[in-house]
Amino acid sequence: MKLPETIPFLGWAWNDLLFLLLAAALLGTALMVVLGRNIIRSGLWMIACFAVLAGIYALLGTALVAAAQVLVYIGAISVLVLFAIMLTQTKGAPSGLVFHHQAWAAALAAVVLGGLLALVVSSTPWPLAGSRAGTSAKAVAELLFSDFVLPFETVGVLLLAAVIGGVFLAKQDQGEEQAPE
Amino acid sequence: MPLLVCLLLALPVAGFGLTALVGRRLGTRAWIIAVPAIVATWIVAMVVVYTALTGGFGPDGLHFSLYRWVPAGAFTVDANFVVDNLTAVLLFVVTTVGMLVHVYSIGYMAHDPGRWRFFAYLNLFMFSMLLLVLAGNFVLLFAAWELVGLCSYLLIGFWYPRRSAALAAKKAFIVNRVGDVGFALGIFAVWTTVGTFDFGDAFARLTEGVSGGHIEPWLITGVVLLLFCGAVGKSAQFPLHVWLPDAMEGPTPVSALIHAATMVNAGVYFVARANPIFSLSPTAMFAVAAIGIFTAILAASIALTQTDIKRVLAYSTLSQLGYMFASLGVGAYVAAIFHLVTHGFFKGLLFLGSGSVIHALHEEQDMNRMGALWRRIPITHWTMLVGSLAIAGIPPLAGFFSKDEILGEAFKNGFAWVWFMGIVVAALTAFYMFRLMGKTFYGPSHVDAHVEPQVHESPRSMTVPLVLLAIPAALLGLALGLPFGHGLINQWLAPVFEAAHRNLGLAEGPVQIFGLDGALLLVSVAVAAAGLAVAIRFFGFHWPLLGDTSARPQRVASLTARVPFLYRASHAKWWFDELNDLLFVRIGGFLANAVWWFDRAIVDGTVNGIGDVVQGAGRDLRRVQTGRVQNYALGIAIALIAMSVGFLLVGARG
Amino acid sequence: MSDSLEPYLILSALLFAIGTFGFLARRNAIAMLMSIELMLNAVNLAILAFGAFEPSLRAAASVIALLVIAVAAAEATVGLALVIAIYRNRRTPLVDEYTQMRE
Repeated sequence: MKLPETIPFLGWAWNDLLFLLLAAALLGTALMVVLGRNIIRSGLWMIACFAVLAGIYALLGTALVAAAQVLVYIGAISVLVLFAIMLTQTKGAPSGLVFHHQAWAAALAAVVLGGLLALVVSSTPWPLAGSRAGTSAKAVAELLFSDFVLPFETVGVLLLAAVIGGVFLAKQDQGEEQAPE
Repeated sequence: MPLLVCLLLALPVAGFGLTALVGRRLGTRAWIIAVPAIVATWIVAMVVVYTALTGGFGPDGLHFSLYRWVPAGAFTVDANFVVDNLTAVLLFVVTTVGMLVHVYSIGYMAHDPGRWRFFAYLNLFMFSMLLLVLAGNFVLLFAAWELVGLCSYLLIGFWYPRRSAALAAKKAFIVNRVGDVGFALGIFAVWTTVGTFDFGDAFARLTEGVSGGHIEPWLITGVVLLLFCGAVGKSAQFPLHVWLPDAMEGPTPVSALIHAATMVNAGVYFVARANPIFSLSPTAMFAVAAIGIFTAILAASIALTQTDIKRVLAYSTLSQLGYMFASLGVGAYVAAIFHLVTHGFFKGLLFLGSGSVIHALHEEQDMNRMGALWRRIPITHWTMLVGSLAIAGIPPLAGFFSKDEILGEAFKNGFAWVWFMGIVVAALTAFYMFRLMGKTFYGPSHVDAHVEPQVHESPRSMTVPLVLLAIPAALLGLALGLPFGHGLINQWLAPVFEAAHRNLGLAEGPVQIFGLDGALLLVSVAVAAAGLAVAIRFFGFHWPLLGDTSARPQRVASLTARVPFLYRASHAKWWFDELNDLLFVRIGGFLANAVWWFDRAIVDGTVNGIGDVVQGAGRDLRRVQTGRVQNYALGIAIALIAMSVGFLLVGARG
Repeated sequence: MSDSLEPYLILSALLFAIGTFGFLARRNAIAMLMSIELMLNAVNLAILAFGAFEPSLRAAASVIALLVIAVAAAEATVGLALVIAIYRNRRTPLVDEYTQMRE
């Protein structure tokens, strides 16, 4: 069945509705991440947030990045975060405050910052050439291996260093004594 | 000849140095360095004096400079010395009395363990006094001025374990200092006015300045009065007279030398030396005369009721110094110096004699515990009698000539009030001196029973100087003062005071023995005789060959009872010490405490407050450095927002 | 709304603000790291939004976004490893209790 051109009764475009829903979901999940008392729940809300973001990237037509977002962020980083959370749990439930004393000042600063940025953005006359259009993976690949090959390789080295560093840092000291060289 | 003058200074200071170094080891022979040094000084001084007075140095005297003391560009001071006739006369008095006091001290201090210190200080004093008299410029004079003050302090407080002696020494020095402040200011004023310190140059330029009209009268009066402050302090004139009676805490030879014959005369000497500029200011001359004669009558009134034999002599010294200043103030410069000379001898004699009495009575100084001593200590008695007659102004002894010249000149120069007050003082002088003689030597004996059997005449080292002083006390007036107004002393000193006589326009009239001068003479003698007679009637006397006049204590008592306030005032020294205590110790102390509070609370408070503010600010600012990254991050966020808003606003306006 | 640039950018700004709040206000170190990830994602969104609406930036935006994701992964790795290492010593994941180097 073919969808009507615009939403009945409201006259919106379907894309707009999608965008609105995704935006609301994004902000909601982000808020749950930072405001959650239980840190595991925060981690899970973070996964949801990344998923919503992947949806928005898809809406923008960058399917490759949306896929990468899901693979890397949800598949790797979030897993890493959850592991770390579980490894650093204190025996009893984490007691005490979740927030600092300066949380109110931080909230105010964040609100003002956000408002400022939004204000600036909406009052800038953006000189834009076209309307929303998608990006093909082919174009990305061409660019990635020609103009951006140096950053690409550098990021590879960076990832290698990060892995080695992470392994070294997270290694247990007894492991060095026990494992004969 | 300059070498001899330098020797005059070198010998005493060498004596001081050597005695200070090895004196302690010499024990009873501590005088063996100091006394010969002074005797040698006396011999050299006599040579210099002879040369000067017989015209050997020419009309202006000997001027020479030893070396350049302060070579500082425009501010140059030499160590230069002047020996003119005035210097010569002073040298004569200082060295002679000094030598006799040194010899006397051999006997007087024979039992004192600190005698080596005594001789060292005495020598140092002689050096300082000679330096003062020989000085040729203000700065050197001031240095010597302070040195004699120091020696006075050391010698008054010689028996320093005694609290009253230490306090008296402090008092003397501090009161002197008050005068010295004015003196120093005067010297500064001289420098800023004429740019030189040398006496001759300064006097010449100041005189030129006044006659030329570019130095105002008030300026010269001010300068001269400031300089006079120093004389007031050093010579214990009112209001800085309070230290001299207390200075009697020192040993008697000290009182004789410093506080009778030499140091206190420094003020008189200075005013005489500065006569060219003093005579430029009639106001200053008036002040000098007024202060002098007032001090004379004040001190005489106090001497009437004192019971300590040395105090009577101290007030007597104050009174005679007042005479000298009065004489300087009325323009009778020669008379003042003449009185200085005669006074040096008879007052020195009286002090040494009183020392002999005290020594005989085993350190008893209260006249109420003396009496009937003339038979027991005859030499002391006869010499003191000569001294008393001299000071009372009975002819033909020395005091008569000098005192009469002062009074005569005062009257003739138009200062009748000075003359009148001087006459009153003469009467009082005769009275209190013979009161002293009566209570000490005549009348019934009130000597303490334990001491009575041991009363004996003093050793020869003490009595010989007494006799040697009695001779000039008796004869010096005749030698120097006759004929009246034209005696040797007048001839010697006239060239020194020529400038003053010119400035004051004093006439040199002939002496009318059967006219005004004779009348004045008779009045002074009569008044002195009257005072003497009243004293004898009250306190007794021993007439040689004629028997005794007995003392009448009941008449004394009834006289005292009739004037209770005056008696109390006189006995309490007119409450000057109490006044000074109130003004300076109490009120001054209160003000000082108030200022101290201000300094502590406000000045220090402000300074400390600034320190505390800085510290507090540091402490509070330190709290920003929490060490927590999130705090810093919040700071960054806030700063970012602020800058952005700033840029937006500025951009929006522009 | 989805056809114009501004909404995406505003969304990115709001997400960034939320991330900032989380970073400044939370005590748990891992929560701070999660907030950092949010901020990085917000930036990514902004870059991609620009790319979508500006033809000359189209491909480059995706490339940059991919590289940002890779860097974020590296950073998350090292950061979490550090937190675990510190946790082993301090037994607490709360940053305001890491005071050993304070005065």
